[in-house]
Amino acid sequence: MAQPLSPWTVRPLSGESIPAILAASTAVQAGFPSPAQDYFDGRVDLNTHLIKDVNSTFIVRVAGDSMKNAGISDGDEVIVDRALTPRDGDVVVAVLDGELTLKRLFIRSERVLLKAENPHYPDISVAALSELTIWGVVTRCLHHV
Amino acid sequence: MSEAPQRRIALVDVNSFFASCERIFDPRLEGKPVVVLSNNDGCVVARSNEAKALGVAMGVPWFKLSAWAPSVGLVARSSNYELYGDMSARVMSILHEFSPHVEVYSIDEAFLELQGTPEELVEKGRQIKAAIHNRVGLPVCVGIGRSKTQAKLANSGAKKSAGLNGVCNLETFGPDRIDQIMAALPVDNIWGIARRLSKRLNSMGIHTIKDLRDADPVRIKKKFGVVVQRSLYELRGIDCITLEGERLVKNQVMYSRSFATPVTTRKQMEEVLAVYAQRVSKRLRKQGSVAGALTCFAGTSRFANEPFHSPYMNAVFSVPTNDPVEILKASSAVLLDRIEDGRKYVRAGIMLHDVSPKSSHQYLDLFTPVHESRQLGEVLDQVMEKHGAFSIGLGAAGFKSPRHWEMKREMLSLRATTRWDELATVHAR
Repeated sequence: MAQPLSPWTVRPLSGESIPAILAASTAVQAGFPSPAQDYFDGRVDLNTHLIKDVNSTFIVRVAGDSMKNAGISDGDEVIVDRALTPRDGDVVVAVLDGELTLKRLFIRSERVLLKAENPHYPDISVAALSELTIWGVVTRCLHHV
Repeated sequence: MSEAPQRRIALVDVNSFFASCERIFDPRLEGKPVVVLSNNDGCVVARSNEAKALGVAMGVPWFKLSAWAPSVGLVARSSNYELYGDMSARVMSILHEFSPHVEVYSIDEAFLELQGTPEELVEKGRQIKAAIHNRVGLPVCVGIGRSKTQAKLANSGAKKSAGLNGVCNLETFGPDRIDQIMAALPVDNIWGIARRLSKRLNSMGIHTIKDLRDADPVRIKKKFGVVVQRSLYELRGIDCITLEGERLVKNQVMYSRSFATPVTTRKQMEEVLAVYAQRVSKRLRKQGSVAGALTCFAGTSRFANEPFHSPYMNAVFSVPTNDPVEILKASSAVLLDRIEDGRKYVRAGIMLHDVSPKSSHQYLDLFTPVHESRQLGEVLDQVMEKHGAFSIGLGAAGFKSPRHWEMKREMLSLRATTRWDELATVHAR
């Protein structure tokens, strides 16, 4: 279903507003520039680009280093879309022992695996996806550099 | 055979809304008895089904339960209106995808206009339930009928009968079955019929919902007035209750109206809010209550040739209030910068939550922010009367409430969707 982006849900998600990045939106073209070219047509809004469905998207903060080989570090924020259907290879938020836990999902014909992206952490294996509670699918990591 | 699709009304509400919101970021609470407390951690204002099953009553002061709670695994949370308000906004926004006509009835329920055959409507109800479950993780029930009263009745059926899987369309039952259902339910189960009123109805031989439906409308109007007569017609499937207006739902007060002509500027919207704030606060003062939080919303028309725009914002008062200026300030602060000049807004509303008797907050009165227009002398008099002649002097008149005087919310969960510094934790281990 098409998602009209309504501005009001964007704001509460960010709390303090996500810094906007100023960017030129028109590609550089050879030849005569169009006289109608806009010089400036508003700032790039990260909410628009990073969030597909404002109603199903949540931002959560990572604690721990088990996903470091996926580029997700302790203290990073990740954007999670609960509306997405988890697919093989997705980084997901799974409910394990009553906690929101970050893992990479592998759907094999015989097993479903939740793997950490760090060799120090063991895999979790179940017979079927239905035995897991997948809270949401991670779409972006806001990595602190 | 092919009848034109008729307008039907669905009532969608979130099951144990506050408790369900608490579970979103804290899945350990799944299946556990959970209660949510009123402001200042006073009384139970919401219960999960498990807490109801333990016999925890609405309105019980927490201090009476706190010693017993650990032995039965009962978990309490302070009201997290920041979280509930945001989750409510998400639910209402999703509902707008299913119908051009959505009337927010309270923080956790809305009426929708739907069209289709009885079977199609059940399917639509299932889709609504699935969408809200999949996208925000909240369980809802959907009741469908020919009128709001019927939708409400169907909704309670959806809640109580496990076999319906949370969706009930009254029209999928035959007339005999509907008679049977209505005959089994006491008349005070009808939306809008208070217990006090039901006693008087009983004395006229009207005990069940079916009795009222089949009563003589003229006689009912004469004895009980037009409100009860409307309920009677509504039970017969004639839609005649408009939802707009002042009302009290659980511990909420709402004032919402459609405009005769669209409001197109922020300035105008501010004037609208000023009027609404005054009306809604008057209602509070009339019943001797204060509110702890509010939701403020506005919407453009779904039918205009412009993108639909419906800001829906929440604010939490540091001290519960019924002061119109405080309510206006809060509504303006959260809503006005969401209002876009040039859009045609056709409705707006203010919903007050966490409404409780003012008497339960008297010690906080002293610290209630005092706005300029209030008579300072009057306030001082009141304070001195209450706390003695030396309790307050002019020097303290303009102070701002420091944090430690704010509402006590010791069992507050994270405001995980509105505060950057309170995001929920996802473990990587």
